[in-house]
Amino acid sequence: MSPNSMDLVDRRTLLKLTGGAGVGALAGCLSTTDDGEDGSDGSDGSDGSDGSDGENGTDGDDGSDDGGDSTDAYEIGMVDSQTGSLSAFGERNQRGVNLALQRVNEIGIDGRDLEIIVEDSESENQGGIAAAQKLVNQDGVPFLIGAVGSGVSLAIYESVVEGTDVVQLSQNSTGLNLTDFPGLLRMSPSGRSQSLALSNLITDDGYDEVAITYVNNDYGQSLTDAFVDAYDGEVVYNSPHDQEQQSYSGVISEMNSSGADAWLFITYQAEFATMVNEVYSSGYEAQFYGADSVSGDNVLENTPEGSIDGMKIVVPSAPIEEENYQSFASDFEEEYGRQPTSWAAYAYDCAINAALAIQAADEFTGAALQETVRRVSGPEGEEATSFEAASQILADGGGPDDVDYQGVSGPIDFDENGDPVGFLQVLEVQDHAYEGIDFIEG
Amino acid sequence: MTVLGYLANGLVFSSIIVLGSIGLSLVYSIADFANFAHGDTMTIGAYTALVTFGAVGGLGGAVLGLPYGFFLALVVGIAVAAVVAVGTEKLIYEPLDVDSIGLLITSIGIAFIYRAVIQIRFGSGFTRFDIQPLRPIESLVPYGVRVTLHDVAIVGSAAVLVVGLHVLLQYTDLGRKMRAMADNPDLARVSGIRTKRVKLWTWVIGAGLAGAGGVFLGLFNQLSPRMGFNLLLVIFAAVILGGIGSVYGAMAGGFLIGMINQLTPFFSNVVEALPIAPNWLETVLENLISIEYANAIAFVIMVVVLLVRPNGIAGEGAT
Amino acid sequence: MSLLSDPKGAVADLTRPEAWVLGVSVAFMLFLLGALLTGALGPTYFLFLVGLAGMYALLSFGLNAQWGFTGLINFSVAAFFGIGAYGSALMTASGSPIAGGFNPIVGLVVALVAAFVLALLIGIPTLRLRADYLAIASLGLAEVVRLIVLNERWLTNGSAGLRGIPSFFKGWPVLSTFPETMPGIRLVVIPGSPVILETAFWQASLNVLLVLAFAGAAYFVLRRAHQSPWGRVLRTIRSDEDLARALGKNTYSFKMQSFILGSLIMALAGVFYTHLNLYVGPGDLDPITTFYAWVAVILGGSGSNRGALFGGIVIVTIREGTRFLNDVALPIDPAPLRLLLIGVVIVAVMRYRPQGILPPQRELIWPSAVDGGGTPDTPESGVREQKGGGSDE
Repeated sequence: MSPNSMDLVDRRTLLKLTGGAGVGALAGCLSTTDDGEDGSDGSDGSDGSDGSDGENGTDGDDGSDDGGDSTDAYEIGMVDSQTGSLSAFGERNQRGVNLALQRVNEIGIDGRDLEIIVEDSESENQGGIAAAQKLVNQDGVPFLIGAVGSGVSLAIYESVVEGTDVVQLSQNSTGLNLTDFPGLLRMSPSGRSQSLALSNLITDDGYDEVAITYVNNDYGQSLTDAFVDAYDGEVVYNSPHDQEQQSYSGVISEMNSSGADAWLFITYQAEFATMVNEVYSSGYEAQFYGADSVSGDNVLENTPEGSIDGMKIVVPSAPIEEENYQSFASDFEEEYGRQPTSWAAYAYDCAINAALAIQAADEFTGAALQETVRRVSGPEGEEATSFEAASQILADGGGPDDVDYQGVSGPIDFDENGDPVGFLQVLEVQDHAYEGIDFIEG
Repeated sequence: MTVLGYLANGLVFSSIIVLGSIGLSLVYSIADFANFAHGDTMTIGAYTALVTFGAVGGLGGAVLGLPYGFFLALVVGIAVAAVVAVGTEKLIYEPLDVDSIGLLITSIGIAFIYRAVIQIRFGSGFTRFDIQPLRPIESLVPYGVRVTLHDVAIVGSAAVLVVGLHVLLQYTDLGRKMRAMADNPDLARVSGIRTKRVKLWTWVIGAGLAGAGGVFLGLFNQLSPRMGFNLLLVIFAAVILGGIGSVYGAMAGGFLIGMINQLTPFFSNVVEALPIAPNWLETVLENLISIEYANAIAFVIMVVVLLVRPNGIAGEGAT
Repeated sequence: MSLLSDPKGAVADLTRPEAWVLGVSVAFMLFLLGALLTGALGPTYFLFLVGLAGMYALLSFGLNAQWGFTGLINFSVAAFFGIGAYGSALMTASGSPIAGGFNPIVGLVVALVAAFVLALLIGIPTLRLRADYLAIASLGLAEVVRLIVLNERWLTNGSAGLRGIPSFFKGWPVLSTFPETMPGIRLVVIPGSPVILETAFWQASLNVLLVLAFAGAAYFVLRRAHQSPWGRVLRTIRSDEDLARALGKNTYSFKMQSFILGSLIMALAGVFYTHLNLYVGPGDLDPITTFYAWVAVILGGSGSNRGALFGGIVIVTIREGTRFLNDVALPIDPAPLRLLLIGVVIVAVMRYRPQGILPPQRELIWPSAVDGGGTPDTPESGVREQKGGGSDE
């Protein structure tokens, strides 16, 4: 037995020694981070840049970096709906963002490019959280553009972003609840203004009874609640419906039985297209109203001619009379062969705003970006309507308060709740196409 | 909408469910396992028809508002669904050496594969057939019935297929063999019936009917990769209600479940109108019998049937 | 033979699949370690993934207790997971419509009680049914639960979900402030790419600790249960229920007990999920969770706890690993690709190795039979001697 027990002892000792050596080696590589490190959580290997004011060249970083050279791109993250029920928005966002990246990288941010890592939220809260986890904790981005859908944005904020320094700016969230979270910025204005506008519109058109159906999620619920609050007349039918159902004939027939002549739809394109087809083949007639998400090419392509003529929709809108929007629209048309939607404009502005915030910040960290992101587009400072102009102001030595970026979707100007100033447009469907008939300032 | 109107809608929806439930019941009784890929077989039929219709177009005339090309696409959809099912049976199910539970689990994997392939090819959103939607039939509108010619076509085609199946089962050789196998597989084999051959034909018929159901579902509502799977549980409810192993039971079950599903708004009105004694009971019933729970009602019925009369309306022994 | 006292012997003793799995696992772990130390894999994100894997492992343990032990085909995993998540969330979330602000331990208890009640509600109608009916019925009832959670806004906040959920360790003496009080650590193994471990990392490690505690407890309980007389009855029911009944066992009662045990463990996974995600919504009750758990169990090996663990890790790898494929330009979307992978895995396992990769083998053998070696000791005296007294010879 002795030789075996000797082997045993040796083996055990060997294990212990290896373990000890391993721990020792690790300990040797350890140090604490209490000397002004880039405090962003979980960031590893990301560029710790300094706040050079438009000069090229020296990083001036503190040796703990990955020795990344000064031409590495700034990486920020984006959670987008590439798949799932909101994927149409995701596509529009991507177009807007890509156009913005072209603009930004033509000039660069202090000689460096901007790169956006995009992850898919699958239009689900859970997917959004997982996507954000990866972006914040694995890729270590200090700035997160996300997400599409108010519920998803809130879930990401509460689960991943809150308590960190990461800046979150949602490109497409109109639910009312985001107003309660000042740390969560959004580029699309709150739906409250839409609900108010709809309520006024319906009342002005002479309808004192309305039947409502809304999509059963945060967006639908919050807009409907705000509408019901604001509306003076009687809401004779108010019922949610699930997303992605094959058929909504039950809801439609109930709306018809309610006797109201004004029907309000707060839902998404796919669901609305289904409803329109069912209304058409059931022969119902009513005056339709809708919130922003029921409008779009998907609906027009998938519904028969004349089925929604006369419908009025309130959409958040880019100021389409403004010059910068015109040039954005023509660039967009050149690039993609179609007119931009306001959703593309929001995403575009998110990227530009992020780029400017990075340029104006002292370092590429969440804390520093929090300081600048609101101010570069805030009301103080010289108005600039393009990235080029705004970047120039910063390059000439200006600080974040010296520039006021006017976005293609509006003046932006985040308020203390992180909501932008909004423009609304009232669209009417005429000859199966959308025509703007009115503008409302939020 | 009047009761008549709900009944009419129920008839149309039932036609689709019946096409699905017959197929499922056939496979259940002869291949002896619960085929969870049945819903996605419907999806395959629907998308095949979409592609075919897109390729051939209208082909001139139309009947009942549906161009001839659509009927051609329907036939192709049926055929492809059948082929895919037979292929799956030969390649996957037959070589497997597992019991019926193992086959059930495998069929779930197959369902995912079908759905994934369709989603990869067509994306995850909705599409429709490129057919002009119609207005409801004028003469029926005063009765509160709002159906279009398309709906008539769906009911008519389903009726034709079902009658055809009945004829097959009762008056042909193959039908007799199928009924024999469903009754007693061992005896059938002993008496010289080529069970493998009959099984294949069962798959062809079952999947073909499912494919037809899928095409009509796409016409009635829309097409999406999840369309079949979403309907699968409702079809299971229909099959169980009708009694597993009985084709006629499946027809009855499909008809009933389809009706109940579309009549839910009507029931909801009835419940609201009735004065029900304990207040809490009234609130609970009002909440639960509403269109959000239309599918749930079918599931509950299914569970109740399983508890009370597992054989269903017309089925054979459950154990 | 434990790994420590005689590693060579222990390794040689492994069956081929076990050795293969061990090899792959060790290689994978080394790969992960390398990625962590060089900064390619963020440690906080990695811990998030470990937490997810632990959660799926818990779900698999629970399903194992039902399917592996007793042969119950339960397709309502998602419902119990959801009840566990909602039970604890409704108690602790600040946004809860019916309660809120309670200590997470209260949430845990409520979740388990709710799961117990739901197990009775679902089990009573379905456990007498034969296997495939049980499958369909449980799937249907799970959908009913999901619809109720989705539509009864006054109870569950509907599709908006519940937010404002505190960490599980809120209010605990040391652990609640552990993430903040721990110093940030910078680890530089490869000069130039430091690994930073700060608050978020410590928070994530607390979560991993929690799931390990849950999973460890579940594993321990299940192991004891499996080797107990109770477990033996369950296994008899699984292979031949009529025999069990002929032996006088009330099979229905045993099946119910197994069902409840499994459901409680699944609810535990839900509770962990709540405090990991800090958000729950009706989408969490989607039946896909049921199918993920099933794949984990089938792949790992029905009835085997180690297999369930292995399956859980594979599931998380598929789910989140395909996300990294985004960086590689594939012509296929990751979402349907994931679905395709899961389907192919199921079919492949059923075709080529229906018993799973790590089926229970040694787990089923009593330790005394193996370690002692050979046959059990023969008694000193024969039965007749014992009864009759005095030796025969």
